[in-house]
Amino acid sequence: MNNVSKVYGSNTALTDINVHIQPGEFVFVVGPSGAGKSTFIKLCFREVLPSSGSIFVNGCDVIKMEPKEIPFMRRQLGIIFQDYRLLPDRTVYENVAFAMEVIETPHRKIKRRVLNVLDLVGLRRRADSFPGELSGGEQQRIAIARAIVNDPLLVIADEPTGNLDPETSWDIMEIFKEINDSGTTIVMATHDKEIVDGMGKRVLAIEKGRIVRDEQHGGYGYEL
Amino acid sequence: MSFSTKEYFVRETYKSVRRNGFMSAACISTVAVSLLILGLFLLLSLNTNNLAQYLESQVQISVYMEDSCTADELKATEATLKKLPGVVKVTAISREEAKKRFEERLGDQKQLLNALGESNPFPASFDVQVDSPERIKELTPKIGELAKVETAKFGREVVEQLFSLSRIIRFGGLILVFFLAMGTLFIISNTIRLTVFARRKEVTIMKYVGATDWFIRWPFLLEGMTLGFLGAVVASFFLDSVYGAMLGRIHSTLAFLPMLPATPLLYYVTVFLLLIGVGIGALGSYISLRKFLRV
Ligand SMILES: Nc1ncnc2c1ncn2[C@@H]1O[C@H](COP(=O)(O)OP(=O)(O)OP(=O)(O)O)[C@@H](O)[C@H]1O
Ligand SMILES: [Mg+2]
Repeated sequence: MNNVSKVYGSNTALTDINVHIQPGEFVFVVGPSGAGKSTFIKLCFREVLPSSGSIFVNGCDVIKMEPKEIPFMRRQLGIIFQDYRLLPDRTVYENVAFAMEVIETPHRKIKRRVLNVLDLVGLRRRADSFPGELSGGEQQRIAIARAIVNDPLLVIADEPTGNLDPETSWDIMEIFKEINDSGTTIVMATHDKEIVDGMGKRVLAIEKGRIVRDEQHGGYGYEL
Repeated sequence: MSFSTKEYFVRETYKSVRRNGFMSAACISTVAVSLLILGLFLLLSLNTNNLAQYLESQVQISVYMEDSCTADELKATEATLKKLPGVVKVTAISREEAKKRFEERLGDQKQLLNALGESNPFPASFDVQVDSPERIKELTPKIGELAKVETAKFGREVVEQLFSLSRIIRFGGLILVFFLAMGTLFIISNTIRLTVFARRKEVTIMKYVGATDWFIRWPFLLEGMTLGFLGAVVASFFLDSVYGAMLGRIHSTLAFLPMLPATPLLYYVTVFLLLIGVGIGALGSYISLRKFLRV
């Protein structure tokens, strides 16, 4: 990401951001509310376009990309939100399989792969439940399963533990660690001081739209 | 496109039509009514056109001779008429025959003729049939100038009126069809807008996981096409029975009207309605998708 700025109307969300994230890294994006963390995340998967600067994801120029290339860029990403965004009228299995179906994966591959990732997040036995029947932590695990089912190179998460209690958050972080250990890059925006301190990974601190700190094995660094 | 993908599209379309049961039914009925009216106008216009053409082909030139004409002169005129280019058939009608025909036409009121006594006011005449309607205009004045011919005329007015009627029906039908098509388009695109809205969460997720725009569009397009198709099926069904009943009526009361027979015509009209239904359905969904599926 080079010299990236993002202006929303009269609001400047990000100013002159320069960041390089290596494959396989685990990066936390921290900062006070309204600092621009979500904007940073959205820029990574071209939900929004920057006002200036350039962004490369997995070697693709996200800005100059043709609209019809966007889906193929996103297939290399796994995106996770604070509010899970599961489909309430589909079972756990169908929610995860959905991500494979819509990128036109043949049937015979879907079943084995879905059961594998459900194993990974420890929820295979809930495959036939509906999201409404699961706890918040379980729903987020399903969302993670959906994000990684297509083997992304990069997983992007915006406050994935924002709605969860500390203990459940640690379960989620265990899964993230596992995914990261298998070589997948992870970028995660969060408010959660304990998690950032406990993981000891790279930390990008954003304040008022500027990067104020970039530490290889940082802590949250703010007093709450 | 793989088999799994096609199966996915069909499944999603089916689910969506069923989920919006009431909306789908309302949409199909509206489409059906519009297409039924369209079909009726089409049949009406085809039939008037056919009628006009039929009458045109039936038109013959009536050649009335002067009263002073002798039998030899009649023979000579008949021979001349037969030799004219484009003349197919010449039927001679003597004065006596003309009187008899008139008597027959009067039917019950034959006694009116008694006033004439023994005199016969009817001229001898020839009915001249020609090979094409265009010939009539060209030949009639020529025949009128032949020796001993009093007048030559043809029933131009009826045919021309029918042709202009058929033009009016076609033109009025076209305008009506345009508005019906716009209405149908609106209904279908509105229905699809509702389904897209109901499924906006799915659409967002599809985008996040990297579904292509066309992949996202297809189920909605199929849904619109299905609604249009089903509407057309219903319309064709009704059109079939309406036209059948109409033909029956006309055969029993106005048997001389040459109506187009139901079997090849209704096949063509049905295929036409189905195509229009599917086309409008696809267009209608495409319109609402353009607004809703911006990346
Ligand atoms: N769509 C938008 N239109 C206008 N302004 C926006 C939009 N999205 C974000 N902003 C503004 O940009 C700034 C950064 O917002 P952003 O959502 O990135 O913050 P954040 O760090 O994620 O905050 P939080 O921790 O509360 O989630 C804010 O001032 C916000 O008001
Ligand atoms: Mg945010």
